[in-house]
Amino acid sequence: MAHFDTEYQRLEASYSDSPPGEENLLMHVPEGAKSQWHHIENLDLFFQRVYNLHQKNGFTCMLLGEIFELVQLLFVVGFTVFLANCVDYDILFANKFVNHTDSSKVTLPDAFLPVDVCSARIRDNSFVIFVLIISGVFWLHRLVKFIYNVCCYWEIRSFYINALKMTMSELPYATWQEVQARIVEIQKEHQICIHKKELTELDIYHRILRFKNYMVAMVNKSLLPVRFRPPVLGECVFYTRGLKYNFELIFFWGPGSLFENEWSLKQEYKRGGNRLELADRLASRILWIGIANLLLCPVILVWQILYAFFSYTEVIKREPGSLGARCWSLYGRCYLRHFNELDHELMSRLSKGYKAASKYMNCFLSPLLTVVAKNVAFFAGSLLAVLIALTIYDEDVLAVEHVLSSITLLGVCITVCRSFIPDKHMVFCPEQLLRVILAHIHYMPDHWQGNAHRYETRDQFSQLFQYKAVFILEELISPVVTPIILIFCLRRKSLEIIDFFRNFTVEVVGVGDTCSFAQMDIRQHGHPAWMSEGKTEASIYQQAEDGKTELSLMHFAITNPQWHPPQETTHFISQLKERVHREATGASDTHPLSLSESEPRSLIANLLGGPSTLNSVHFGRDSSLTNHAAAGLSDGASALRSLSPISSSLHLKGSLSAAHRAGHTSAMSKAMASSGTDARTVSSGSSAWEGQLTSLVLSEYASTEMSIHALYMHELHKQQSRGEHSRHTWHRQESDESSDSVPDEVRSEPNPHSRNFPRSHTFPTTVPSPSAIPTSASATSSTMLGQGGASSQSSTQQRYSGPATDSFGAGGKVVRSARVPMGGWAEDGQAAPRRHEPLPEESSEDEMPPHVHKIT
Amino acid sequence: MNCRSEVLEVTVEARQVEEAMLALLHTILLHRSTGKFHYKKEGTYSIGTVGTLDFDCDFIDFTFVRVSSEELDRVIRKAVSEFKDALGNSGSDGMGQISLEFYQKKKSRWPFSDECIPWEVWSIKVNVVNLANEQERQICREKVGEKLGEKVINVVEVINRHEYLPKMPTQSEVDNVFDTSLKDVQPYLYKITFQITDSLGTSVSTTMRRLIKDTLAL
Repeated sequence: MAHFDTEYQRLEASYSDSPPGEENLLMHVPEGAKSQWHHIENLDLFFQRVYNLHQKNGFTCMLLGEIFELVQLLFVVGFTVFLANCVDYDILFANKFVNHTDSSKVTLPDAFLPVDVCSARIRDNSFVIFVLIISGVFWLHRLVKFIYNVCCYWEIRSFYINALKMTMSELPYATWQEVQARIVEIQKEHQICIHKKELTELDIYHRILRFKNYMVAMVNKSLLPVRFRPPVLGECVFYTRGLKYNFELIFFWGPGSLFENEWSLKQEYKRGGNRLELADRLASRILWIGIANLLLCPVILVWQILYAFFSYTEVIKREPGSLGARCWSLYGRCYLRHFNELDHELMSRLSKGYKAASKYMNCFLSPLLTVVAKNVAFFAGSLLAVLIALTIYDEDVLAVEHVLSSITLLGVCITVCRSFIPDKHMVFCPEQLLRVILAHIHYMPDHWQGNAHRYETRDQFSQLFQYKAVFILEELISPVVTPIILIFCLRRKSLEIIDFFRNFTVEVVGVGDTCSFAQMDIRQHGHPAWMSEGKTEASIYQQAEDGKTELSLMHFAITNPQWHPPQETTHFISQLKERVHREATGASDTHPLSLSESEPRSLIANLLGGPSTLNSVHFGRDSSLTNHAAAGLSDGASALRSLSPISSSLHLKGSLSAAHRAGHTSAMSKAMASSGTDARTVSSGSSAWEGQLTSLVLSEYASTEMSIHALYMHELHKQQSRGEHSRHTWHRQESDESSDSVPDEVRSEPNPHSRNFPRSHTFPTTVPSPSAIPTSASATSSTMLGQGGASSQSSTQQRYSGPATDSFGAGGKVVRSARVPMGGWAEDGQAAPRRHEPLPEESSEDEMPPHVHKIT
Repeated sequence: MNCRSEVLEVTVEARQVEEAMLALLHTILLHRSTGKFHYKKEGTYSIGTVGTLDFDCDFIDFTFVRVSSEELDRVIRKAVSEFKDALGNSGSDGMGQISLEFYQKKKSRWPFSDECIPWEVWSIKVNVVNLANEQERQICREKVGEKLGEKVINVVEVINRHEYLPKMPTQSEVDNVFDTSLKDVQPYLYKITFQITDSLGTSVSTTMRRLIKDTLAL
């Protein structure tokens, strides 16, 4: 065989499977924990702290504030004890003489007792020792808390700086919305919450306000025993911090509470099976906590007194009037709070309403007291004048014993008396004031409207808006009353409470168990009388009272324009906004007309035109029509001055539309409206606004916008419920021919003489006013029959009673057809709200025809 | 809680408890384990391999795949047998829950100890039934096998979802995320706990902790 020398070679067997350079191919680069902010264990606490730090204006402010508080506490206790035990008052008052060798002057150190005497006195006084021990324990508790907080908040501080990229110095000037937007942004990068890729604003709110939402819902559904009817005092509300603390202890975090941890309700409470047993257990727990409260009562009482003394004496000394001032009560804060409303939002809202509210309360100065106060002030004033005159003549008068003190006392006395004497030149319009208040506080019971001038309304309002002095007093007696309430009132409600937590808790992915009301789902918790007719599937038990769901939803959507609600909710919001929008522009469009014809057409015009009840009453009577409507309008505008953004913008609108009536008027006013309104429209629609409006401006507009919406919704609610009510009375009065529509017309007229003041949500049924009967009765009956002559007559009358008749659902269809000849603008103003409203259509159909036929 | 939680429920006979638990725990851990990390100087790392092996059950018609790590197996078996004993001794109607919790450690500053923050909790609820005769046992054997098969698929589905996992750590932090004590495999840090019947109320310690925390909070 020849040996060929070829290129062929035997391959070396390779025993390693992997290709060369394998190490490089399968290399990984660790991401590492770039930040420590991913996957935070307790997001509830975390967000709460982030919020707190923001509210406290940054770490340094908080730190300083806390330190000063600690020092202050120490000082106050020390100083009080010193004053009580270590000062020889006899020397100070010069009852006893010190024998000085060098000079006759008494110096301050002379009055001090020597240290050993002093300490002996303290040691002998067991009460002082007791107080000292309690305050010592409290102070230590505060100190530990302070140190703990510093550690926790230091972390939050670094979260702000490193993750949110906000320095502490700019924090006070950043709005919460900005901070929140950054947190949402951060989540995408760091995954603070591991359940979701993205956090929503609502998630953050839910976590911060989890328990507060429950409390708001429980107050809303009147589950908590805070209203009492003691024999002498009449109906009153008792809700103090101590009571609130106990409620929270029982429900949320105390030993054996309903919640397993911050974010989840215990499993057994979610099942309905053994609710009776659970209720029993809850009842016994409440009993034990009540007993514990009873046992600790003396300690808490002493503490409360000390606390009140230390925190209020300084204030009272500085401005004695502050005790006569009012503040929003704790119950009021709970009642008026929206679901998902943070503290600062609530407080700013309430503070805006403060002035109007105190003005409103001042309307009700007792005339008897005024007479007494005037005379006391007169006598005290004359005495004071004489004393002062004498002093001016010769200042030695001051040296006479007690002259200086009596001058001071008389001065205080006059100040107090003056607060009971109303300002001569003040004119009070309670109805309008209440409307202004409503624009800020957003909630009020139905029966207040139209009854603003009544004492009962005032009394009920004072439950929300109480004297500071009463507030302090309630806090002081709270330790005694709280155990009684717990043992005798709350315990009875244990089954309801168990049911409440079972029925109204939903588990939200990434948030945990929250109160289902806080989801602000119209479908589940909407109230048909509050614009969610047809959308809500809630039973009466599930409906939130006072339109809380709807108003909260609007509030949340307006304050958080970036929030994307679920589909149907978006629909609801946009629909409502559109309506309000249309009304707003419609109002400005029709202003010139309405002034000339003195007939505010739309709801917004109604809102501005003062109480619509007034208007409707006046419109019912042909004679006094012109003056009153005009007066009403200007009155309303002036009353709404405190709502300056609204009124000014609307004034502006009015003047604008007056100036250029045609052409671009509507476009202009729309732009005006949108500047105040929806941030989404702003951002999506006109890009010009986008740059100019910082978030702060936006949030300022948001509150105004919310006020408009709240007023609008209340107005609509009133009209709807009036329609509803008319249906009921209608059914009741089937046989009575003449008074068919009377209740509607008349109900709007508050009758001061009627004895039965409404306690419930129903409106007062009052005596029919003679002038109203023929008008409306003939209007409805004749138009329904379609008789020519009658209808022409009725149409003229309908024109005047426009807003009023519009308000009762029964007349809905009829009125519109009768109005057609009046021209397009009437359609604009009137038909617009109707178009979106399923209720009146339906109700008019089911209530009108049969009865009318019966009548004819 | 900032943590996912999955619940699996099985109904088995007393003698099947151990194997059923092993099957589920091992399945989960198989998907939550990686090979050992070998860090290089440049701050990169390569991942070792993970061996698997099939495990046939004696009392159930079922075979599952587990990580072929004796050490891991030993740890799990120990936990499971404790659970089984506790279940047997409880004398109640044989309800129990074993949970596998994956967590990561977070170093904190001096006054606080290291936090263990769970990010995923698997709770397996066990319902033990007593069977009267051999025939029923036979049926149960097959049925439980089928059920376990479903659960395994269930587990895989959950794990396949694109959800939060701790980020891959650098060398210094690897102990905060992975359990590095085993020689041949490296699962995420995990903890197995069990509970016999629903204990009523939270334990005293958590309540006390909560109470203290709450009084300390601002």
